[in-house]
Amino acid sequence: MTRGRWTKRILAAYFVVFLLFLYGPMLVMAVLSFQGPQGGISFPMRGVSLHWWEALVNGPRADTIRETAGRSLRLGLLSGAIVAVLALTLSMGYRRRFRGDNGLFYLIMLALMTPGILLSLGTALYWQFLEEPTSLWRTAIGTHVVWGLPFGFLVMVAVWNRYSNAVEEASRDLGAGAIRTFREVTLPLIWTGLLGAFLFGFTLSWNDYDRTALLAGGENTLPLQIFALTIGSVIRPDLYALGTATTLVSLIAVGIFLVVAALILRRRRAAPATADEEFGILESEVVQAER
Amino acid sequence: MPGSAWLIFFLLAPVLFIILVSFWTRTISGFDEVWTLDNYRALFDSNVYWSQLWSSFWHSLVVVAASLVLGFPVAYFLAISVTSLRNQIALFIIALAPFWTSYLIRAVAWVPMMGREGALNTILQKLRLIDQPLDILLFSDFAVTLAMLQLYILFMVAPIFFMLAQIDRSSLEAARDLGANSFQSFREVILPQSMPGIVIGSIFVFVLTMGEFGTVRIIGGGQVSSVGTIVSNQVVSVQFPQAAASAVFLVLAMMVGVFLLLRVSNLREEL
Repeated sequence: MTRGRWTKRILAAYFVVFLLFLYGPMLVMAVLSFQGPQGGISFPMRGVSLHWWEALVNGPRADTIRETAGRSLRLGLLSGAIVAVLALTLSMGYRRRFRGDNGLFYLIMLALMTPGILLSLGTALYWQFLEEPTSLWRTAIGTHVVWGLPFGFLVMVAVWNRYSNAVEEASRDLGAGAIRTFREVTLPLIWTGLLGAFLFGFTLSWNDYDRTALLAGGENTLPLQIFALTIGSVIRPDLYALGTATTLVSLIAVGIFLVVAALILRRRRAAPATADEEFGILESEVVQAER
Repeated sequence: MPGSAWLIFFLLAPVLFIILVSFWTRTISGFDEVWTLDNYRALFDSNVYWSQLWSSFWHSLVVVAASLVLGFPVAYFLAISVTSLRNQIALFIIALAPFWTSYLIRAVAWVPMMGREGALNTILQKLRLIDQPLDILLFSDFAVTLAMLQLYILFMVAPIFFMLAQIDRSSLEAARDLGANSFQSFREVILPQSMPGIVIGSIFVFVLTMGEFGTVRIIGGGQVSSVGTIVSNQVVSVQFPQAAASAVFLVLAMMVGVFLLLRVSNLREEL
């Protein structure tokens, strides 16, 4: 048994090193964003200041950044909403077998595997052929949803796997119509899953560069702006401040979701009969999320 | 269903259209529907493209191998060593959180780590492992590979974790009771169970790194190129049919890679 304990300790230490590898560069970036005004883009720190954060908010680039951030936020919210709705309808189809379910499943997996640059190029060419100008709201939203949909779909499939059809039958037997059943019985049971699908749609769109690059039609999103700042000009610490800020937005979105899910969990646990089931849903959601 | 209509219009049609355009003629503003094989002829004459395709292919395999070797212990630790479900979920989410942040920013974050005066060089010099700062760290193949490993290793860890988490702990105990040492129980119980996860993870990492171009541009700083950057350069110079032809071979190379990975294990049988 002692050998088992040592294995566990070594693996735990390795896990910490792994987390350092994952988070280290981002933490260094966050620290460097507080460089003094004379400081450069790498160590040593020349003083500590809010100079570069200030430059981000009030500097010459501030207006563009605010504008692009606002646009990215609206695009992300819209794309999250569409992903949630489409993931719901698609996954409901898979509650029973239907003609072409295999083909559609491969199509959904194709959405996961197609490299962004390819999708971006194909869509740009296709729209040029259709003689339609590309724009964020008609074209890029399409590719963003394609990227988020497989993740949202897998989350919803996991939810339905844990879901009992009996409650819907009971509701119908009690005389509730289809809409009322959906609103009062189905929705309260699956909405954490919907929120998860929305979250994937939002963060994947908020951070996307590849799938937007050729489709923005003159309106830049925040990642496009960041790419332009990185490639087109000399990197300055205000880019680190911007990077830290957008990372925080993503992590806060994930955090809010987790808090909400945990609160629901606790409330459900008050009713012991369903507690285990609810926990199961959350677990399988996490488990399925990355598939 | 609206979902399938969306996928057909925004995914299937564009991807098929790339193949079509790769056989069309280039014009100043884009392409014309005149059938030609010139794009492919130009491609076959270009040594740069083939050496690039080969090096991208090779790099992706290196990243796949490295993420498997470095990622497997993480998945094993989370799924087997951590026993409480709550801790498992919490640690898994901590490990997964960077997935929800921008890969562009995470690529940018490598810049202060790698430069001549970057954090890595400073640390190595402080430890007296090197006397002179290493130049190979930024704008090099090594830098791009390391950054891609960090960006995509989660796609390897997650599927293996899901497979391992399904292992019935009692089967591990049974193996021990039957006198298996840890190596045997690893080979007989853990490895077969994690195989589908390994294959899925390898396919993810391979496909995603093969098509990469943002990271390559930022960390490679124009010194390193990939098929992705070739395609995007051709797009910038409005050589759409040429870009489409390059992309078609990129996809073919990916399919070869995925096919090879599937040969390792028969996924359909094991799932």
